[in-house]
Amino acid sequence: MRNIRYYVLLCILAGAFSAGAAAEEIIAIKADRIDTVTSGVIENGIIVIADGRIKAIGNDVEIPDAAEIIEVPDKTIFPGLVNPSSRIGLSSPPMGGSASTPHYRVVDELYPHQDQYKRILGAGFTTVGLLPGDKGLIRYYSGYGYMFGGGQPSAGITGQGAIVRPTGQRPEEMIVSESGFVMINFQANDRVKKVIKSALDSAKSKTSSTDPKVRPLVNALQGNVPTFVICNLPGEVLHLIKLFEPYDKMKLVLIADSETYRVTNQLLKRKIPVIFPAKIDFESNTRTRINVPRMLAEAEVKIALRPEFDNVTGHEDFLRKMAELVRSGLDREIAKKAITIHPAEMMGIDYRLGSLEVGKDANLLILSGDPLDVGTKIEKVMIEGKIVHEAP
Amino acid sequence: MVKKHMRHVVLMLPFMAVISLLFVISPLSAAGEVTAIRGGDLYTITDGIIKNGTILIKDGKISGIGQNIEIPEKTKVIDARGKVVMPGLVAVGAEVGIIGYPNITRIGDSLDPFEFSVSLALASGITTSMVSTGRPSGSNPLWGTNAVIKTYYGDLDQMLIKESVVQPVMISNREWLRKTTFIQNMRKAQSYLRKLTEYQQAGDKKNAKEPKKPGGLDAYLRLLRREVPAAINASTADDILAALELVDEFAIRMILADAVEAWIVAEEIAKRDVRVVINPRQKQRPNEDISGPSGSTLENAAILKKAGVKFAIIPPSTSFETWGVVGRDMMALPMEAAFAVSGGLDEQTALEAITIAAAEIIGVADRVGSLQVGKDADIIILDGHPFHHKTFVESTLINGKVLYEKAKSIYFSHITRDE
Repeated sequence: MRNIRYYVLLCILAGAFSAGAAAEEIIAIKADRIDTVTSGVIENGIIVIADGRIKAIGNDVEIPDAAEIIEVPDKTIFPGLVNPSSRIGLSSPPMGGSASTPHYRVVDELYPHQDQYKRILGAGFTTVGLLPGDKGLIRYYSGYGYMFGGGQPSAGITGQGAIVRPTGQRPEEMIVSESGFVMINFQANDRVKKVIKSALDSAKSKTSSTDPKVRPLVNALQGNVPTFVICNLPGEVLHLIKLFEPYDKMKLVLIADSETYRVTNQLLKRKIPVIFPAKIDFESNTRTRINVPRMLAEAEVKIALRPEFDNVTGHEDFLRKMAELVRSGLDREIAKKAITIHPAEMMGIDYRLGSLEVGKDANLLILSGDPLDVGTKIEKVMIEGKIVHEAP
Repeated sequence: MVKKHMRHVVLMLPFMAVISLLFVISPLSAAGEVTAIRGGDLYTITDGIIKNGTILIKDGKISGIGQNIEIPEKTKVIDARGKVVMPGLVAVGAEVGIIGYPNITRIGDSLDPFEFSVSLALASGITTSMVSTGRPSGSNPLWGTNAVIKTYYGDLDQMLIKESVVQPVMISNREWLRKTTFIQNMRKAQSYLRKLTEYQQAGDKKNAKEPKKPGGLDAYLRLLRREVPAAINASTADDILAALELVDEFAIRMILADAVEAWIVAEEIAKRDVRVVINPRQKQRPNEDISGPSGSTLENAAILKKAGVKFAIIPPSTSFETWGVVGRDMMALPMEAAFAVSGGLDEQTALEAITIAAAEIIGVADRVGSLQVGKDADIIILDGHPFHHKTFVESTLINGKVLYEKAKSIYFSHITRDE
């Protein structure tokens, strides 16, 4: 134990590039329960980690002699949480106008060693999808179809989102993927539609272009990278689906925050997964409580859930909110996937994280109990084989 | 070869027919099935009241209406015994069904079939409405855009009927620059049209030169060609007369909205076949500084009717509200017409003013506004006379589909008629 701590300290002091430096270390974790999310729960299981990756996982796994053994007999191991849509640690971008800036990269905004990142790490988040442009966070709300508060955010193609780990001293240490997805702020009006359509149409014929303004769109059009679309009202989703009809290879992911369940049929037809805040809502203009994640899940729409409020407290409250959703009917297994493997799949990063499987990054949480139990405490957080957070 | 090809086409025909039928019918719930509304008093608007009548609906259209209509087998029957059945109400202007972003230039791109007002419109019996966005800016007399939509909840494809049905024009004696700009541009467009006609009528095309179309005057050309009417807000008699001068000079079609003092100049309006939109209960004090009559009167509608002016009625507020000064908004459209009745207007004309006359003004009378064979099956079933204050809409159908039932509404089902 002390060794690992010492090692981590050393890493941080040296500012060494993490993945490479961890090469020699082999760790084995023995735990009461290992919740792999994708392959069920392993009771009294062992995870062997080498090079920051999971080398073996199961009940009767051979532990190499050189392995550092972490024994946590009464704990639960769970994959690190993945928030696919956040602006945490970033400042508000300018508002207004319709944009077509696919070359814009949110990684250029990265500002590491902020306390916010340390704290959301403590809340169990090991991977975050950072959005370029605004509106990912709820700065205003809609009612009666009208938007209140704040200015109008820029709409259109706002840039490329990044996938980061909330740890590290330099941007390079944080980045998992620089251009994880293309970001579109959709609004149902002819101007924004035109901006999006003309950019996509002009990129369509330039498949071999290396122009930084075109390349991301070509990748998005071919489905090589996912396209995240923020689109709030269910009525707007209908416009969105119509607009994207000709671009059938694009992997669309909807970031929504309203009565999205009204358009589940259309979402299923185009196979659009949804990123939704973890909250119980009121049906608009009523006092009727609705659990939209549950409704989406029951309609078999793939969901990823994110903190309702895009700040530290929102992240810290996240698992409790998830527990509430499960208590009011959201399927427990879907709930677990919606905070790990589903968001990883939506960001196209599921080949290396999002569940506990051989070959994947050793991003995991050591918990005092079930992750969706309100009494559960996050005791340790590991990213790529290194303990990056320990509960005091 | 050609013959063979032909045979293919012929063979394909039934398939194509089936496919195209699917396309036509699939968005409608009716999906080829027939619906009947039986036993109600049918306020047809255009053919009087049919007591204890039946309406047949097929493919979203009215396919039969009368007292002795045979209901085919496998027909879904809606029992309307003791109820009033009438066409869905038509609003010449309402805030409904648009996603609320500013700067919309094409309404079809911003319609929202889940918008709250859409459900309230259905509950109020309004099935068709003109919606507008934009506001005047600078000295430009032309402003905004508009469309006629159906308040079809939940289906975007069934909402839009027509884009840009009227051309809003802002002129008044307080906005003299706008009027000047308007007249100058109209004259430019007029002179272009005159030259164009001369060119087209010239026998010798070689010597004649085709006139160049002036830029930025498309909207003015549409007005001059009478493709759309100009919609002008004119509440005082002098504003109305000033607007009528434009009809005299340019022979354009015109709608006068907010025409509070129309009663003073009713004859002048009638002479020019200009349509009018009024709020019967609107109050405006007489202007003591002028010599002639002025101000509002409850008899406005009745006087216009007597003069032969066609008009539509809307409430003072064009939004749908469940709070605030209830009764002055779109939820009470028939009540507004009832005010006109209390000012001396006959009931039939008052009903027309919220159905067929309104539909004519916004250019969709060929599809909605009355119960006639061939028209869209946009129908409302009421539990009493439309002008009775206790009357509620019980069901609303658009394109033959039941989109609202009071018994299932979380807002209205608890309200029962206290006789």
